[in-house]
Order: sequence, then C-alpha cells, then structure tokens
Amino acid sequence: MKLQTKRTIIGLLGLLFLASLVLVQALETIKKREEAGLGPIHVSIPETSRSCVNCHSQLANTPGITDHWTGSTHARKGVGCVDCHKAKDGDADAFTHFGATIATVVTPLDCSKCHQREYEEFDQSHHAKAGNILASLDNRLAEVVEGAREPFNPHGATPGRPDITGKVNGLASAMSGCWQCHGSKVGLLGTDGAAITVDQLKPFLKGDEDTTKENLGQPRHPELLKLVAKTDKGQPKLHPGSWPNTGIGRLNLDGSKGSCTACHSRHDFSPRRARQPENCGKCHLGPDHPQKEIYEESKHGVAYRDMKDKMNLDSKHWVLGKDYTQAPTCATCHMSGHSQNGGKVTHDPGERLSWTNRPPISMALDTDEHGKIVKEKDPAKRSKLVKHTAMEKRAEMQKVCLHCHTQAYVDGFYKQYDDFIVNYNEKFAKPGAMIMTEILKQGLRTKPAFDEEIEWTWFYLWHHEGRRARHGASMMAPDYAHWHGMYEVAERFYLELIPQAQEIAEHAKKEGKEKEAKAVTDVIDAILARPEHEWKNAAKKEDVAKARAKVKARIEAEAKADVELKLKQDKARAEAEKKKKTEKAANLKKEKAEKADS
Amino acid sequence: MQVVKKWFQERLPISGEDLKAMTNEPVPNHLKRWWFCLGGTPAYLFVVQIFTGILLAFYYQPSPTTAYESVQRITNDIAFGWYIRGVHKWAATLMIASIILHQMRIFFTGAYRKPREINWMIGMCLLLCSLVIGFTGYSLVFEQLSFWGATVGANISDTVPVVGVYAKRMLLGGDSYNVNTLPRFFILHAAVLPAIMMLLIAIHIGILRIQGVTEFEFEDEPKDEPKHFNFFPDHLYTEIIMGLVLMIVLSVLASVLPALIGPRANPLVTPEEIKPEWFFYVSFRWLKLFSGTFAVLSSGFIVFIMFTWPFIDKWLVKKTKYDEISVWIGIVGVFLLVGLTVWEALVKH
Repeated sequence: MKLQTKRTIIGLLGLLFLASLVLVQALETIKKREEAGLGPIHVSIPETSRSCVNCHSQLANTPGITDHWTGSTHARKGVGCVDCHKAKDGDADAFTHFGATIATVVTPLDCSKCHQREYEEFDQSHHAKAGNILASLDNRLAEVVEGAREPFNPHGATPGRPDITGKVNGLASAMSGCWQCHGSKVGLLGTDGAAITVDQLKPFLKGDEDTTKENLGQPRHPELLKLVAKTDKGQPKLHPGSWPNTGIGRLNLDGSKGSCTACHSRHDFSPRRARQPENCGKCHLGPDHPQKEIYEESKHGVAYRDMKDKMNLDSKHWVLGKDYTQAPTCATCHMSGHSQNGGKVTHDPGERLSWTNRPPISMALDTDEHGKIVKEKDPAKRSKLVKHTAMEKRAEMQKVCLHCHTQAYVDGFYKQYDDFIVNYNEKFAKPGAMIMTEILKQGLRTKPAFDEEIEWTWFYLWHHEGRRARHGASMMAPDYAHWHGMYEVAERFYLELIPQAQEIAEHAKKEGKEKEAKAVTDVIDAILARPEHEWKNAAKKEDVAKARAKVKARIEAEAKADVELKLKQDKARAEAEKKKKTEKAANLKKEKAEKADS
Repeated sequence: MQVVKKWFQERLPISGEDLKAMTNEPVPNHLKRWWFCLGGTPAYLFVVQIFTGILLAFYYQPSPTTAYESVQRITNDIAFGWYIRGVHKWAATLMIASIILHQMRIFFTGAYRKPREINWMIGMCLLLCSLVIGFTGYSLVFEQLSFWGATVGANISDTVPVVGVYAKRMLLGGDSYNVNTLPRFFILHAAVLPAIMMLLIAIHIGILRIQGVTEFEFEDEPKDEPKHFNFFPDHLYTEIIMGLVLMIVLSVLASVLPALIGPRANPLVTPEEIKPEWFFYVSFRWLKLFSGTFAVLSSGFIVFIMFTWPFIDKWLVKKTKYDEISVWIGIVGVFLLVGLTVWEALVKH
C-alpha cells in the first residue's frame, strides 16, 4: 500500500472521528444545558395526548396552552393533557372530546391522583377554606353594599352598547373581586340560566359512608345534569358567573376545595414562579392585607430584589440552606423545604404561623385535628381540643429563621412581635369590639353591617389599618407597623370610633333612651379611664387653661424679676458714678491746697 | 556574560555545541505537515491541564459536603474561574481526541513496528492514564451525573471476577461511595496520575529521541532536496503555532460553550439517564450490548490486544503474508469506535 493511500485513509478516518466528536460534544452540550436549566427542554408527549398537542398547537386552537405545557415539568416527565383533564362517565362536567372523556375544570381532586400528599396538606390549610367567605362580612360588602344579591333594573341605556340589555348583575363586584382570590362556587349553566353547583349536586365525598373509589367526586343527583345547557358539541356550559376562576378556595363540582392553579399557573405549573413573591401578590396586597408591599419594604424583600439571580430559583427542590440562603421569599418562610426539615415542602402555609391576624382581635393559632382555630377560652377544655399549638408552629418557623439569624435574634424578634400584637389587641381591638357589641346590645345600631357610619369606622380600624399594623410587625416592615398601621388605628379609634360612639349615646339620650345611652357611655368611660388612655383625658380644656395660666404667671414673674434686677443695677451704677465724682472733686481740692502751700 | 558562562561550564561541562547537537537533531520533512505533529498536541494540552489544574486546585475542596459548592464558586464567583474551568474541560476533551488521532496515525503508518514496540506500549499506558484521569476529573464536580457515573463505573469494575471487588474498594475507598471517595479521586487526579504521566511522557520522548522519528518518504516529495530540517527553531515554531491555535480554540470553546454545572449529587435519587464522559461512550455501549462479566472481560481483552498489537501484527503478517493486514483491522476498529460512540450519544438508555 502506498504511503499516499495510507495518508488518505488516515485523513478520512481522522475526519470521521472528528465529525463524530463534534456530534457527541454537541449532544452532550445540549444535555448539559438542559440539566442546568438553560437549553430547550426535551418534551415527552404521551401517546394519549399526542392528538391534543398536535391540534392545540395550531394557531386557531389556543397554541399558548401547548406552548406553556411544553415548558413544564409535566411535559418532560410525559404527563400529558389527558392525564389531568381525564374524566369518568358520570362526572358532573364530563364530555366526550374527539373520543376522550374529559372535563374543562381540573380540580385538586384530579391533581391528587399524582400529588396526594400535597392535596392533603392543602386540604387542611386555611387557603382551602378561603371560599367560605360566602355570607361573610367581606362577601356582604361586595354582594350587597357594592352590588346587589338580586339582579336589578338598569336606570338607563349604555350608549354605544345596545347589546347590554336586561337586568344588572349585582354580583359583578364579588365575581371579579372577592371570588377571584377566595374562589367561586363553580356552577354548570342550567337551561334556565341558573347555576347548578356543588350544593345541588351533593357529590360523594371522601369519608362519606357511601363513597367508593369509583364514585368519589361524582354527583349524588345525576338527574340534575339533564338540566345543564350544552354547546353544539355536547360540552356542558359553565356558568359565566363562576368561571373562569382560579381562586384558592374554589368550591368545585366534585366537592373538592381550592384550585392548584391559583399558585401553579396552568399549563406550565412553574415551580420557579410559585417560589417568587409576585405570585402571592395576586391576592396578598392592597389596603387590607398588603403582605406583598410589607415584604418589599422589609430587609428580606430588599435582599430578594438584589439577590434574585443568585437564588437558584430553577433548582429542582429549592431547599433553603442547600440551594440558596441569599433571601427568603413568601414561599421560603411559609411553605418551602429547608435544611433543618429534610427539605420537606408543605402546602399548608399556616403550618408555621403562631398568630392569626385575620380577625379583629388577633388569636394564638392553636388548631384542632381538622385544622380549625380553637376559640375555647377555658384552659382545660382548650388543651383537649388543641392538636397543633401555636408555639409548635412557631418552632417550625424558627427553624427557617435560624438559617440566617441567631436564636437570641429570633427570640428578640418574637418578643417584639408578641408585644406589638398584645398592645394592639388590648389597647384598641378588644375595647373597639366591646364598644361595638355594647351599642348593638343596647339596640343603638342594627345588626346588618355597613348600614351605619360607625360600622364602616370599625371595619377600617381592624380590617384595614389593624391588619396592616399587625402584618407590618410580623414581617419587620416598620413603616407599615407604624405610619400605615398603628398611627392610623389610633387616629381612627380616638378621632372617629369614640366620638361616633359618644354621639350615638348622646342621640339616644335625647331620644329618651337614657338607660341604653348610659350603658354605652359607661363602657366608653371605663375604657378611657384606663391608664393607657389617660393621656387623652389630660387634654381637657380646663387642664389646658390651668397650664396656660401657670405658664403666663411664670412668664410674668420672670419679666417682673428682670425689671427689678435692671432697676437695681441702674441704682448701683448711679451710686458708683456719684462716688467717683466725689472722690475726684476731693482729690482736686487736695491738689490745689498742696500747690498753695508750696 | 563570559564570567557567567565560565561559571556554569566549570560546574556543568556541556558546551553550546553539545547542547545544540542534543536539541537540534534534524527531523524528517513530513513533520512540516501539522497533522503529523499530533504527538506534540496532547503534550501541549497536558501542560495546559497542569497549569489550569493548579489554578482550579487553589479553590477546589474535595469533600462531598463542599465539592459542589466550591465548583459553583469557581464558576460563578472567582475571577476568571469560569474561563479556567472551561479551558480545563475542553483541553481534556481535545487531549484525548488528539491522543486517539495520534495513535491512529501511528497505527496506520505502522510506526509501532520494530524497534518501536516499547514506545507503542508506553503510548498505550499514556492513553489509559488519560482515560482514568478524565474519569476521576469528571467525578470531582460532584454533580448528579458525575456522581452516578462514578458509582456505575465502580460497579462495573465490581463485575470483574476475583479482582473486581478489590478494584472497586480501591477506587472508592470502601464498598460504596463514601466520604473517602472524593479525596481519593482528587489525589489520583491531581497528583498520582499527573506524576505517572509526566514520567511516561519523558520516557516516551526519550525513546523517540534515541530511535528518531519514523522516516516516511512520500511519492510527491522532490527527490533532490534535503530530507530533513532542523528541530530548532523550525519544528519548534510549528509546535508553537499549534499551541497558539489550540489556545484560541480552547478560549473560544470555553467562552461559547462554557463548562456548566448540573444539579448537586443526590445519592437517593437515581437520574433517568446516566452517562459517563464521551470517551467512555464506546465501552459503555459495549457493556450494554453484552452481559456484565463477559462485557467487562471482553473490554479488558480488547485493551490487551491493543497493548500488544506490535507483536500480534508481526504474527498476523507472518501468518497471512500480507503486510497491510493491520490497516484493514484498523479501519474496522475506527468504525467500531465511532459507531459505538455515536450510538451511545444518540440514545437515552
């Protein structure tokens, strides 16, 4: 074989080897970038969902859905559309879609097929119960005060919108406001326009005697489904007042509570997003519970803004102390795993809270076996009811704090926080509640809320300013604790609540209800006579007049003394002058006499 | 100047002429072509590895609790840490690639034949050392893939009859991956293997110097011109230019495709896909094709064949009376190497 031939063989084989090396390196680089969360993600489309992805990827068929899904962990792990949207025949909202039985609304019960532990934790949480605001004070505000529970007639046409006809939907404020965070009661649209909800369907629930694995979540009254309006493709219509909705305490047709997509936005279910405070900020902001703004003001929020890029938000488990320590987000303190608990994430954000600052008067967050707050005051009875104590929950939170703060620091913070809450409770919340109760008890205000000025005043005090103050203290945001908080609580209490209560008593007295008026005045006076309110009494007019007279007298006395001193000084000066002149004259006389002698 | 020269010559009686004669042996004309300089390329890259390795070792902490974080720190915080790590990573890849290309050139031109059998075997030792140094280096990052790569590698050695269990223990410092494993890998990677390789390279070059470079005469070379040229400075310049080109290539690779870092090693979670470094793809695919012990023993047999190839080649030529038999076997071998490597790269499991 010629040397030239060998050279060609070497050249060709060398090139082949180099080409294979380039290919292998390219594949390895792509894989490495995927691992580091930088490259395009490998998507596994399960066979059952292939046609869904193909069809929904087309421009006319919501391609955003498949785009979002493509970036999800679900897509990488081969969890497709049908796996989540799959429904059983007999499910309230099931319909056949290109051969597959599916449902539009995916509920926590659906997610629990794979995420059982997360479902159970969430089901125990206060988040899951957020839909229970129906018929609460907040809901009355939106459904009655801001709107109307019954549709009402419009009082004129809407120019440019001839399509807006018929009665006005008075629940609009609740639908777009309260329910979008708290959750709606999902309803199927009846042929008569009414909503068919969980209340009518009465689904088989977990724990019910007659519930089986097969009928779990299915309606006990399937005959009602015949009344549901359907599209021309046979899809049950959802009541537009209840859907779309991703409120955290949504009341679903299958009886489950909540919506996982409240935090884990569909269809990418990004853990990265759920770890960021902006995600919680959809609901936890505003005048009544500005947790997001409070966090932003705190050192934690400041550090987060600065260090966000270094916090490994894309890491798989995102364990505090292992994956990051730069700053905590909402998720870090309330939900995420950390190095002291083996990285265990909880889906019950109340697991580490020791106070509930939601009600007018803050309460220690002792909970029973169902996760409900124990309100029993008798210590013996209370200890029997409590399953998880507030201090146990605090200890869990402290494990998070201790990643960056010493025990002394953490203890010091909790002392300040406890003192703050107790001061708010004892000085304003309990007295305010006493006054409001007494006025109601004496029949000087009506029971329905928000129909009298003092009810708005009291609501502002605890629901807005009081919560702002307490949340500010709980998350170390001094401006919210003080200026947006306690300062306004005090102003509302002294300048509005007390005067309005006194005015109510005065009116009652004029109307001949002396006994009732006295009862209210006694409560107010007893409160104001307490040492912590004494400063207010010191500002009475006579006291001010006395003080002013005292000051005037002191000023006059000082002025008089000053004049006397000046007169004395003038007299002394005149005498000195006179003496000087006498001496001078005597000297001159003496000199003259001596000259004459000489 | 003369005083200094005199001072040295009194102590080291080597004249300038002697030094010139020692370093400036004429080299054959074919070395003017850069693809015949592939012996110098891995040597140059080895120097790059030593240099960048020392810099990385300043910050690397070989313990399961600190290794991953220290690599993160090198990559993200230390000034030019990402660059040094990138150059180290790509130089390792190019070093092994150039060794293979160098070996291919030696093989197809029959440059391993008498009297160069010993140098071929030393070259084989250097190849094996490079592979082991690559394996231990990959494991030092302590990311998920490198951890499981090391674990699987150790388990493979366990399948070798009789000695396997001892080999595994020696590699891991115990029956399984433990706190002693990373320091052991580090010592092997940063001290023992480099020292052995330095010695082997010195012997490799020493023997080359004694035997001289294999002489080739290409058909298209002019007959009336000198067949040799000076090592110094002519060939040295070629090597320097190669070095500069390599440095540019390494810098571009380190900048455009930087060494990334995967998730931290988690002994409790087995990744869906476990892959070693690319230069083990061929043996990894081979192991997947055949059952455990056979695959390991056959791999060992192939290495043995490669090691003793000068003698096997001599025997084959004698038997077949065909001088170029090794060329055809070599072509099959290269296709097998490329095919198995690409196959392993393309499939997930």
